[in-house]
Amino acid sequence: MRRPDDYPAGLAYDEMFASAGDTRPHYELLHNRIQTLGSMELADRQHTLERSFLLQGITFTVYGGESATERIIPTDLFPRIIPATEWAKIEKGLIQRLRALNLFLADIYGEQKIIADGIVPRDLILGAPSYRRQMQHLYVPHNAYVNVCGSDLIRGEDGEFFVLEDNLRVPSGVSYMLANREAARRTFPGTFRQAGVKPVERYPDLLLATLKSMAGEWRPNPQVVVLTPGVYNSAYYEHAYLARLMGVPLVEGRDLAVHDNLVYMRTTAGLQRVDVIYRRVDDDYIDPLSFRRDSGLGVAGLFNAYRSGNVVICNAPGTGVADDKAVYAYVPSIIKYYLDEDAILPNVKTFLCRVPAELDHVLANLDKLVVKAVGASGGYGMLVGPHASSAERAEFAEALKADPENYIAQPTIQLSTAPCLVDGHIEPRHVDLRPFILSGEKVVVTPGALTRVALKRGSLVVNSSQGGGSKDTWVLSDDGGLTAEADLETAP
Amino acid sequence: MMLARVADSLYWVGRYVERAEHLSRLSAVMLNATLDRTDAGAMAAQLARAAIGDPEPTGVSHALDAARALVLDKERGGSVLVSLARARENARQVRDQITSETWERLNLLYLRAIDGHAERAFEADAPEFLQGIIADLHLFKGAADATMSHGEGWRFMVTGVHLERAQLIARLLRVCFSGPQGRVIDDHLALVSVLRMACALEPYLRAYTADLHSKNILEFLLFDEDFPRSIRYSTERIKEHLNHLSRGREIGRGDPARLAGRLNARLAYTDVEDVEAVGASAILNTVEAECTGIHQAMFETFVAYPLEMRLPA
Repeated sequence: MRRPDDYPAGLAYDEMFASAGDTRPHYELLHNRIQTLGSMELADRQHTLERSFLLQGITFTVYGGESATERIIPTDLFPRIIPATEWAKIEKGLIQRLRALNLFLADIYGEQKIIADGIVPRDLILGAPSYRRQMQHLYVPHNAYVNVCGSDLIRGEDGEFFVLEDNLRVPSGVSYMLANREAARRTFPGTFRQAGVKPVERYPDLLLATLKSMAGEWRPNPQVVVLTPGVYNSAYYEHAYLARLMGVPLVEGRDLAVHDNLVYMRTTAGLQRVDVIYRRVDDDYIDPLSFRRDSGLGVAGLFNAYRSGNVVICNAPGTGVADDKAVYAYVPSIIKYYLDEDAILPNVKTFLCRVPAELDHVLANLDKLVVKAVGASGGYGMLVGPHASSAERAEFAEALKADPENYIAQPTIQLSTAPCLVDGHIEPRHVDLRPFILSGEKVVVTPGALTRVALKRGSLVVNSSQGGGSKDTWVLSDDGGLTAEADLETAP
Repeated sequence: MMLARVADSLYWVGRYVERAEHLSRLSAVMLNATLDRTDAGAMAAQLARAAIGDPEPTGVSHALDAARALVLDKERGGSVLVSLARARENARQVRDQITSETWERLNLLYLRAIDGHAERAFEADAPEFLQGIIADLHLFKGAADATMSHGEGWRFMVTGVHLERAQLIARLLRVCFSGPQGRVIDDHLALVSVLRMACALEPYLRAYTADLHSKNILEFLLFDEDFPRSIRYSTERIKEHLNHLSRGREIGRGDPARLAGRLNARLAYTDVEDVEAVGASAILNTVEAECTGIHQAMFETFVAYPLEMRLPA
């Protein structure tokens, strides 16, 4: 099969079509299926898909004016397919990276050897707003600071995967991975079966096992809970979904109480001890006594109970210091330092504006670079140089000069594109990849991911707060006779 | 064992769902009654509005306008739409505790009611629209019954349904049979409407035949042990569920199970002759007041208890 004439070949690597226009082997099955279905039939299936998300309540809340409306995250019906060989490398790279980052956190909140050895600058770590001195010298079982990690990967023009960002605080999106899968099984049942897709459905029970492995061994049957900010949080659906699939209570701060450094939940039969808290509340809000005093979402005294070893908070507070956008630049050295290995998944070239020479380079090349504020996330506080007006660039240049420490810059990478159904037409849209890695006693990568889609034509921003959508991600269990070809295709 | 907040939300799901159903039914009966240009029709419409707590119409509005406000008004605390929205909001807060089958019934119903087409559908055929809501609510209860574990959470929800139901039926009977004017309804068609408002017409006919008397209706809706919308049936369920819920707990004087047992015993050892002798309002007022008492006792016992009393040993 070949690329249809109305499917534009862009600069970016396309997931379905090789640059010569042939369908990549691992996409043959799906492409055939799409061809046999007419555009009416595809539109029907897209509609059914959206309807099922709405009915299940897979929505996020948009606040505007006086009213709040619930919307579904736009979801595309074509899966994104990753061959087994590529996935094997991604999986190894992710495990390596998270092992190193956990060791880094244990060191930072312990002896700080990496700082003493001059690998990362002291002020960068200790001056970061996400550094929590309260965590210093606190025992974390298995050194597993980051129990749930959602890294953002992108594929560059040459087909190589890069890590763009490590999300080590409270990464979200895993419910969309699971919901998209459930939907895709219904949208393309035959193709799904023939393709041999690795299952993602074990995620909830693996998460539960990870959380339980964090409890003290003297608590034989630990009580795990999911802590949510509440029904008004935009990711509430996910919190409820995970609690339901793990079979554990979904609690809010007001359901918990601390007494004598033990954490309890208020049940209909009185107070009951809690051992592990999978919190989906940011560090700042978990305990008004230890962090932000104005927080109504947390539990007074929780951090002291944690310090005393009577409860485990997952992810550990203070992990943000390792996914800071400036610290990101040091991750390859961090991997080298702790594991004595080279990073399997490369970083994107990053200029640290805190270094004067790099700042000069960034200022001279603003029209080619993406500039990001170190502390911001969700696609906010960001300048995409080539797409910005000269006025916007000038404004950002001033901000850079005023506070260089707060910025980093990266070359503008044309994220790979994948076919999406847009207004009845099949068109390429830029995508990224967010796999989920669990670490407790063991480190496990779920063979699947959330593929986020920039729905606006040409846009490189995939965040759902900025008009992004998502699609299912199929990791093939083996590439059959196609492996050799696939390898050739990805060779530089 | 379940979270106190969750138990409270499930209880309110039960209450709001029952309220939405009752309001829909009353609206449907009211609209139907106004089709007859008879005194009985006017009376039935008036009773329905009074039972809803709608202020006596002061020259206002056509029945259809009244029904529309009752069903679709987003601002009005007691409308069907608001009741559905609140039931769904409570269910969303305990989404992990109810089965997907149950949740999806309620979510679908809610989405349909807030849909932009809802108003048009109501205008086009109000009785059909209301029947649809009632049928969907039955599906919701059926799904809950058939797919949820009949444990603590489900008992809280069902207790909510029956407490709400007992209070609503008591109010309906009070309006119909012990109104301020001490009105006596003897019109056959008006009595048919009263039975319809309690969804009781067919079961009543089977028990008493088409010979309609207010005394029999009172007896049926107060004391029948088998009909699921009689007050006696509801108090029996409330007692049963609360006995389960407070089992093995040290609760003491404010035990809601004890209050429920007392109310149920009152109904079990009273008959319609006693009621006739002193007027229906006495027992109906008692039912309403004691249901409120049970409601408060449940809140204090299961949800808002003082922490220091309930630390594990």
